[in-house]
Amino acid sequence: MNRALRRISIAVLVMFLLLLINVNYLQGFEPASLANEPGNSRALSAAQNQYERGSIVTSDGVTVAASKLSTDPNDSIKYQRYYPLGQEYAPVTGYDTLYSQTGIEGAENSLLSGNDSALDVRKIIDLITGKTTKGAAVTITINSKAQNAAYSALAAGGKPGGVVAIDPSTGKILALASYPSYNPDLLATHDGKQLINSDNQLLADKTQPLLDRALEGSYPPGSTFKIVTSSALLTNNPSTTINTSVASPTQLTLPQTTHVLTNDLGEVCSPTGQAPLIYAFAKSCDTTFGKIGITVGAPALNAMATKFGMNNPNLTIPLGVAQSNYVIPPSEALTAFSAIGQFSDTVTPLQEAMFASAIANGGTLMKPYLVQQVTASDLSTVQTTPQAVLSQPVSATVANDVKQMMIAVVQQPEGTAYVYNTAATGLKIAGKTGTAETGTVTGLNDAVFTCFAPYDNPKIAVGVIIQGGGYGATAAAPIAVQVIKAYLASLGNQ
Amino acid sequence: MTAPSPAVDPDGPLVGPSRRRTELIMLVFAVALVAFAFANVGFSLKGKLPSVIVEDLAPYVVLVVIAHLAMRRFAPWADPLLLPLAALLNGLGIVMTYRLSAQGNLLTAPLSSSATTIQVVYTALGLGCFIGLLALIREPRVLQRYTYTLGAIGILLVALPALLPASISEVVGTGAKIQIRLGTFTIQPEEFAKLALAVSFAGYLVAKRDVLALAGRRVLGIDLPRARDLGPILVAWAASLLLLVFESDVGTSAVFMGLFVAMLYIATSRTSWLLLGFILFVVGAYAASKLFAHVGERFNIWLHPFAGQNPSHNAYQLVQGLYGMASGGLLGKGLGGGQPYITPLVQSDLVISAFGEELGLAGLMAILLIYGLIVQRGLRTGMLVKDPFSKLLAGGLSFMLALQVFVIVGGVTRLIPLTGITTPFLSQGGSSLVASWILIALLARLSDTARRPPPRPIQEEGLTQVVTLK
Repeated sequence: MNRALRRISIAVLVMFLLLLINVNYLQGFEPASLANEPGNSRALSAAQNQYERGSIVTSDGVTVAASKLSTDPNDSIKYQRYYPLGQEYAPVTGYDTLYSQTGIEGAENSLLSGNDSALDVRKIIDLITGKTTKGAAVTITINSKAQNAAYSALAAGGKPGGVVAIDPSTGKILALASYPSYNPDLLATHDGKQLINSDNQLLADKTQPLLDRALEGSYPPGSTFKIVTSSALLTNNPSTTINTSVASPTQLTLPQTTHVLTNDLGEVCSPTGQAPLIYAFAKSCDTTFGKIGITVGAPALNAMATKFGMNNPNLTIPLGVAQSNYVIPPSEALTAFSAIGQFSDTVTPLQEAMFASAIANGGTLMKPYLVQQVTASDLSTVQTTPQAVLSQPVSATVANDVKQMMIAVVQQPEGTAYVYNTAATGLKIAGKTGTAETGTVTGLNDAVFTCFAPYDNPKIAVGVIIQGGGYGATAAAPIAVQVIKAYLASLGNQ
Repeated sequence: MTAPSPAVDPDGPLVGPSRRRTELIMLVFAVALVAFAFANVGFSLKGKLPSVIVEDLAPYVVLVVIAHLAMRRFAPWADPLLLPLAALLNGLGIVMTYRLSAQGNLLTAPLSSSATTIQVVYTALGLGCFIGLLALIREPRVLQRYTYTLGAIGILLVALPALLPASISEVVGTGAKIQIRLGTFTIQPEEFAKLALAVSFAGYLVAKRDVLALAGRRVLGIDLPRARDLGPILVAWAASLLLLVFESDVGTSAVFMGLFVAMLYIATSRTSWLLLGFILFVVGAYAASKLFAHVGERFNIWLHPFAGQNPSHNAYQLVQGLYGMASGGLLGKGLGGGQPYITPLVQSDLVISAFGEELGLAGLMAILLIYGLIVQRGLRTGMLVKDPFSKLLAGGLSFMLALQVFVIVGGVTRLIPLTGITTPFLSQGGSSLVASWILIALLARLSDTARRPPPRPIQEEGLTQVVTLK
């Protein structure tokens, strides 16, 4: 037995030698490469909390995230992050926790924390002049009035949804709200136990407060997709005008099926079965646009949707944005559905705002962005986001045609959003409603509205989606109107 | 000039010194190290001596001294290194628990401020069992009587968590069903099952070793056992696989299998058993990795911890442990200077990464060498002790300790796939600590038997020798 024991001893010796060699390799040779791994918070966190973190400020000067000296004497971290307007701005600011950052806090983390190499020279100057180094401040494009109107209106409605407002000529995001929201202060705590508790509570919450519906919520666009369908039609058939008479049957039998497509509640679009394109658009006749979709074809719809910003997995503002999808349907019958924003079409509220933005800006879609500029603690500008063209979905002529159709939706008596005409609101809004069937048997449809204003000189484009809101005109449009009013009023005051 | 060799009575038995004084000196050294480490944590985190240093450290010192006195009384010839080495590891475990609980709110599984006191209570329990076992079992062969009883107890303890509902037996968030929860108190029965089964294996193999060693055919230079003798190894294999599948406990499964195969090899000296056991385990583990997602996932984590989403999801724990040890580098951040709290479960499964982070490569190597020394003392005891049961038991227990250290430290340092088992003496928690002390008590009892001088004849001449029986 001793011989076997001796051999076991040798095996044990080898095991321990392997451990020792491996530990030597790990701690002697690997630290440099491991320190450079992106997720290595030990390498980062020493730096992460080294300086006072920079603030996040709206374009009109409202501070939405800032740091103050921690009041807890046991706190190992000197500064405490806080969010004065918590829930309203949560989808924008994100949060800065012990372990991770999201939203602007995440996207601009290195600048906010003061560790970005762009701040190196200023840090040396701080060292010489004896000034305390601070992280850089981030100015976001958000307009506080528009943001407040968006969040208040969402909260007043009490239904889950998202609102995004864009300045069509620049791509600046003026409002970005999601409801239900959460208070990032809960997650900014340095008490790990409390942090885990809050995080678990938020994750378990059935209303999904952590979901940023404005950027990450995907919903069917419903009839707002008729902007894309019309754009495809007008672009591919230059002879067609908005006054061209198009087939608008009460029932559309779908090719190769016995299914019939009807309008909402079986409504008659036009007694003659023919209507001018602008009339069918304003009245949002599904049969008309289903048929147009079949005529134009799925590839053309797909190309147009892509040019409007859909099917793009890489869009960042710099926060990540969920991809809005147009899936080429397998049959003509389904193409008809896809042309009216059903089938597998999905969009984010941001995408809805981009539809209106592109049309309002003469067919040029500006790249939406959220960070206006980054300012170092000495108030010098570190970086400014340049305005950029994302795409040119339609020509100026076609954009003008669609614009006229969108104003008809609001200003013509047959329009689905006629209640928001100039006489009622004092504004000249152009838009398109959508009421998307979500495929669920019970519950209301999703309410969608995309619009811009003022019609003659567009300053703001708004996209609203309310989950289970019902009709776009009743649930989504009023929120957009309030955002527009608040924003235009703030412009007037300047 | 060489020193004159001590005069040895050529007729009298060779009696070595009992070495209890050596043990005491080593203990003083161990306790001093622990006290310095404890003070170090306080100065590093709070800038002053820990406020609880007296109430947490004094009981530990008293307990260790009592254990030493018990050794003098019950096992005077036991190996002098076992107690000091184990006490040092135990003390370092208490220090790390204190260090982590001082920033307990930063941990992903928070530690309360009383965790240190609780760990000291566990130490008292462990040392109580240590002393009790030494007092109760004066002769290791007594255990041989309970071969089948202990085997049954061992299997029951292993199977129990699998049979209980997940609400009682699942370790929250891990999917591993390895504990029994009674209110806030949890027991990990497998820690005790390992010991019971080691004793049971030893008893069984002593009885059967001749058959297992001699019967069979020789094929290609390897002695193959008879098919009918394969029963026990197949049972052990099946049991370890069941552990793997039903309790998601890969680490313990490997330790069980390794323990059995090693003891089989010690008993029979036949390489074929070793090969057979190894092949069976590898085949079983491979099949399980293909059949069960949670087992396969461990291989994926091991091979590609930095790939894709792994660092922030499945491999988060492993990767954070690696970052911690890397940040420690050669000399470490110093106790209280690192951020071990970032790593999930750092107080239990990944405690070695906390030591690596704060004591550095130097400290980690020292800890590994302490384990190595305990194992070496145990194996040496196996060589010295005369009766086969004790030999098997000493070899088995030592190898089990070595294997457990290898599986967890190898896992944490990415030598092998990471599986959640406790680090003997260092992990926060009671079951592992108490079981580790029982293991040390058994080794101490075995080494006492091995080194005890043979009974001195009281009659110089004559046909019949009367000996005093202890």
